[in-house]
Amino acid sequence: MADDLTEYEFPFPPATEDSIAMRDGAAANRPAGVPESYDQGKSARWSPKAIADVHAMSQLGRYQLRGFNTFSTRMPTFDDLVFVPASMTRLPLEGYRESCETETVLGDRPGLVSNPIRLAIPIYVASMSFGALSANAKAALGYGASKAGTMTCTGEGGMLEDEREASNLLVYQITPSRYMLDLEHLRMADGIELVMGQGAKPGTGGVLLGMKVSERVARMRSLPLGVDQRSTVRHPDFLGADDLQVKIEELREATGYKIPIFAKIGATRPRYDVAIAAKAGADVVVVDGTEGGTGASPEMLLDHTGIPTMSAVRAAREALDECGKSGEVSLVIAGGIRSGVDAAKALALGADAIMIGTAALMALGCNSPRYFEDYEALGTSPGRCHHCHTGRCPVGITTQEPELEERLDVAGAAERVARFLTAMTMEITLLAKSCGKSSVHNLEVEDLRALSLEASAFTGVSLAGIDRPFTW
Amino acid sequence: MSEVEILAGARPIREVNEAIRSAVARGDDVVVKDTRSRHNLAIGLGAGARVRLEGSVGYYCGGLNCGARVEIQRNAGWAVGEAMSDGEIVVNGYAGMSAGTSMLGGLLHIRGDAGPRCGVAMKGGDIIVEGKIGYLSGFMAHAGRIVALGGAGDACADSLWGGEVWLGASPKSLGVDTREIEPSADEVSSVEALLESRGLRRPEVDWRKIVSAQRLWHFQSRDAQAWLMI
Ligand SMILES: Cc1cc2nc3c(=O)[nH]c(=O)nc-3n(C[C@H](O)[C@H](O)[C@H](O)COP(=O)(O)O)c2cc1C
Ligand code: SF4
Repeated sequence: MADDLTEYEFPFPPATEDSIAMRDGAAANRPAGVPESYDQGKSARWSPKAIADVHAMSQLGRYQLRGFNTFSTRMPTFDDLVFVPASMTRLPLEGYRESCETETVLGDRPGLVSNPIRLAIPIYVASMSFGALSANAKAALGYGASKAGTMTCTGEGGMLEDEREASNLLVYQITPSRYMLDLEHLRMADGIELVMGQGAKPGTGGVLLGMKVSERVARMRSLPLGVDQRSTVRHPDFLGADDLQVKIEELREATGYKIPIFAKIGATRPRYDVAIAAKAGADVVVVDGTEGGTGASPEMLLDHTGIPTMSAVRAAREALDECGKSGEVSLVIAGGIRSGVDAAKALALGADAIMIGTAALMALGCNSPRYFEDYEALGTSPGRCHHCHTGRCPVGITTQEPELEERLDVAGAAERVARFLTAMTMEITLLAKSCGKSSVHNLEVEDLRALSLEASAFTGVSLAGIDRPFTW
Repeated sequence: MSEVEILAGARPIREVNEAIRSAVARGDDVVVKDTRSRHNLAIGLGAGARVRLEGSVGYYCGGLNCGARVEIQRNAGWAVGEAMSDGEIVVNGYAGMSAGTSMLGGLLHIRGDAGPRCGVAMKGGDIIVEGKIGYLSGFMAHAGRIVALGGAGDACADSLWGGEVWLGASPKSLGVDTREIEPSADEVSSVEALLESRGLRRPEVDWRKIVSAQRLWHFQSRDAQAWLMI
């Protein structure tokens, strides 16, 4: 029978449409009882965001690009893990009295590295380029990190004098674009980081929009003023693991086997990538999860590339264990670390040190409730801002405009960074002591339990209560 | 000042380079023998150093040079003279991939052909190649000059930010965002002077000068306001 045809007739006159209608529909000519989704338009596929994305792309003719980090709500977080402190089976340390070692040594390889990096705390400030950040922001991060006994890293745009002066310890980044890379600067560094990728956009090179390519930035990067800088992702002079090994040897020769060599990768296949980097001779492997911050990235890469930090840590540690490099090669973890609690969980999962980017910017004053009208001009407000790519940072952090940069008071911001790093460290030691650990580096997987199947499956951490990891 | 012979052979490269550095510090000229295409020879030497490598060398030879004169008697592997900021490197044979990667200054002179990506990410200085340069040479270079008498492979000067590629013969193809322009007489004489300083006279050459077309300098829609909306 065709859908809409019926042969049957009642033995009385057919009803009028008027007498059939229930008369409580939203509109007079619409039947009542339509599903709620008609009214609310709740398409799972075509969410308001998906529709807006098409509208934006159809006007702009390109992908969207922005700063900050992923807005994806699908990422597991460290909140899915809890510590299980000591009680009967283990003995806690006095949280408010007894001491807990926080010193963190990176690249301790006698014979290969004569000056390993000694940090007073297990946290340091990630590479965020001068260009992405203002000079004031770089200086404030440097002074703040120095006061807290830790270090900063240069980033893609070369070494800024202001930062070298401010940072007691500074890692110098070599990115594929090789902006301002020369021997003089290599020899001024306390460590060298070869960047193979970052969490926010693994497999894709850096971006700095023309609004931020100021005279000083352009000079340091040998770029024409105001260009939309889109950098390479492949290094120009090495491709695979064997070449990387030779490259690392070159850098050691150039710097007299004094300073450690870091290899930074975005978390994609950490089990293999970390093993390769370690085998190629890196002293420190830095793994940046997909939640990692950025000054500017194509937005879809933020949400759809790479794996979450939490899941990368265990794989990275197991890779080092499997190739016999644990203890010899240090593992640094970054990407979405918000607090000492997150950091402590990453340490327990296997990291030797933790790197923070976005959190350090917040300590500088990112998203702080001031200059409301300038946030508004960007179409945002304090607490929601993610407009680092525009170069119009209302609080002077991610900008190259002198009048905005001036808003960042270096002394005050440096003090906040130092206090934040110290507070994070206190959080870590408090948790470590409650778990009975006299060093933050003794935190271990056994100190954690997972609150969700997902977190357990990603990390191998035992599920709360049942005390067994989720297995298939 | 005397000439010191240093044997590379199978010795640890660290030892060989240390021997080179201490000879240089004494003011001696250095001849490295039995080079066996070893990687990372003569890295990061400064002004006044004079090193001749008798044979072929591996990757990164003369890398991060900041003033030394390095001569390679035969062929060089990848990225000879990478990130050099000053000085002079001569390759008497052929050079492998990425010769002169991201160099900032100084002169790299290759008498044979150079492999692909010659002068990639270059920021300054001059590269002279008497033969041909391989595909993607000059890729994303910022500044400086690549002069290739024997022409170029595919995608020559692809995505240049700045800088110039001078060809004495046709490239197989030009890369994206390139523009061939007629050089001025002054520019030609400057290139000729550079060549003459190396004992090369090429008055008959019909130069092809390739520069950036600058279309990739900006996203097509470059209105800053458009970036603010997200
Ligand atoms: C403003 C900004 C600029 C950045 N610039 C660089 C860079 O130049 N090179 C790099 O390797 N990573 C860069 N990153 C990534 C950081 O080094 C780090 O991996 C990331 O911020 C860690 O994640 P988190 O921000 O969640 O702590 C940048 C991040 C931010 C927020
Ligand atoms: S306040 Fe500044 S640093 Fe923070 S998200 Fe906004 S633009 Fe970026």
